[in-house]
Amino acid sequence: MKRVAYYKGCLASLSAKELDTSTRALAPRVGIELVTLESVTCCGAGDIHEAEPDYYLHLNARILAYAEQVADTLMTVCNVCTLNLRQANYMLTGDETLRERVNDNLESVGVPRYGGTVDVRHLLWEIAEGEGYERLKEAAHKGLKGLKVAPFYGCQILRPSKILGFEDPDRPWSLERIIAACGGEAVDYPAKIKCCGFPIIQAREETALGELIQPIEQALEAGADVMVTPCPLCHLSLDAWQQKLEASTGRTFGLPILHLAQLVGVAAGLADSELRFKRHVVDPRPALEQLQV
Amino acid sequence: MKIWRYDAARGERALKEYEFDAPEWATLLDCLDIVKDQIDGTLSYRKSCRMMICGSCGMRMDGAAVLACKTRMYEIAEAGHVPTISAMGNLPIVKDLVVDMNPFWQKFHAMKPYLQPGYERPDDDREYRISQERMNVIHKESLCINCGCCVSECNAMESDPEFLGPQALAKGMRFVGDPRDGATVERLEQYSSEHGIWDCTRCYFCNERCPKGVDPRDAIAKLGAEAIRVGIDRDMGAKHAKWFVHSAKSTGWLRETELVPKTQGVVSAISQMKFAMSLARKGKVPPPFPPHAARDVKESRALHDLVSEQGRDGALGIVQGERALGRIEFAKEHGEEEREE
Repeated sequence: MKRVAYYKGCLASLSAKELDTSTRALAPRVGIELVTLESVTCCGAGDIHEAEPDYYLHLNARILAYAEQVADTLMTVCNVCTLNLRQANYMLTGDETLRERVNDNLESVGVPRYGGTVDVRHLLWEIAEGEGYERLKEAAHKGLKGLKVAPFYGCQILRPSKILGFEDPDRPWSLERIIAACGGEAVDYPAKIKCCGFPIIQAREETALGELIQPIEQALEAGADVMVTPCPLCHLSLDAWQQKLEASTGRTFGLPILHLAQLVGVAAGLADSELRFKRHVVDPRPALEQLQV
Repeated sequence: MKIWRYDAARGERALKEYEFDAPEWATLLDCLDIVKDQIDGTLSYRKSCRMMICGSCGMRMDGAAVLACKTRMYEIAEAGHVPTISAMGNLPIVKDLVVDMNPFWQKFHAMKPYLQPGYERPDDDREYRISQERMNVIHKESLCINCGCCVSECNAMESDPEFLGPQALAKGMRFVGDPRDGATVERLEQYSSEHGIWDCTRCYFCNERCPKGVDPRDAIAKLGAEAIRVGIDRDMGAKHAKWFVHSAKSTGWLRETELVPKTQGVVSAISQMKFAMSLARKGKVPPPFPPHAARDVKESRALHDLVSEQGRDGALGIVQGERALGRIEFAKEHGEEEREE
């Protein structure tokens, strides 16, 4: 078992609780021991980086410092958390003067100093290669045979690649590999690496919906039964705002969106109480019932 | 290689394949020169300096914007890959690989890309000297060569063509961060308008594609930070960002349910009630009371107080990380281990 500091982030704690329960249920089956970080806050989601950047750095340093107490790896289940934490981590490990100043501040409010040893990784990366991938192949015994899955990466797990760096941001392969390992069929479409519009969905809804329609439309054209995403923010716009897209275009999409842990969870035979599909706006259960397992 | 040819007069578009020999050191631009000289003289593309400084030869290779003169072709050819070359995105195509840059320059000029008068002259009437620390704030933005690679890939601009976009906003930051400029506040007001700073969707394509390391998305974040620092925060995007700060220091986690009224205002939020109710039925609208508070949240509150006193708000807060982030690229270019794994 690989021991990781599990950082849920805001959405898995609140509106996307199904992501948290499915991750917790899946983790031991793919060889990951979760140590949940309790004394942590929001990563700032890029918003605090923009509103009060120095505070953003300190909040993330605090999260990294608490993670360092329990494991070498901090595991996220959200693209935005991944970018924010990795970016702060590079800032802190690449500039000793800056880290010293931040550490002095952390210490003066009772937070442990950050030594700079934590690696921030997303669940996606943990199960797309190495031991996690080997365990995934064993765990996915129920399979996803007959299911056509549209992989949707979202932006902040791919770009900027100098900070994320796991795979080629223009030709990513991790989701396709996981879908195949689970026995499903990945469909291909150009917008799988583009933006879902979420960061501006409240401030600029029209612009955001113009982005959101692309992956949904293209995935359906490619024959997808469901879509999977490693990001709960993408999930929220793709799932919850899909009805707004239907209202504004007068069309029906009805594309179910699964969190990564749910898709693998289905293949691994997780219970309904762990997957919690009834919390979705577009119910994935009818599409999953056609599985030939 | 394959090239998307386009004739606007006839409205014809065709993907043509060209096979030729090129020296090992050839760039994409050298290859296009060979095609034009030896195979088809009607091929159109822009070029000038051939050394990554004029910004003329922005185009797409396999769907991604590149500077043709910076892109070496040897390894691609060796790998047996046949790349597809096309014109940049988000701008109208004039012919083949040439786009109409007028929409680009209009936005560029709208930023007033020159110093505005009004700064205080030094007492001794000598030249205005800028400290290295102040220069660092706009170092990356000053590297821009106006090639348009960022604009080509901007996801927000695809959806809202009026968005000022990554290049213009990065240029704006270059002047907002210049201590000699006399119109900082006016600029921030202007750039905070409907199609400005808060229209950016944070897809990070601009950072990914920029051939000069400008990182336009980071420049837009600097503008946002400066706007909020000087109190220009009427835009819903700014209110949205500020609510995250409030959430982090009050309960630790984002107070999701209050985010809509805090961003859009109560009246607008009420018009969203039907939508909100549909989400509430799925448990997607967590009850705001009692607030879901993180353990030891008093620490993040104390950190906020402490950090606020240290004067690194605004763009400076972002700039302080640039040296470390720049090292990642350095490590990559020099073949050092970039990650400890």
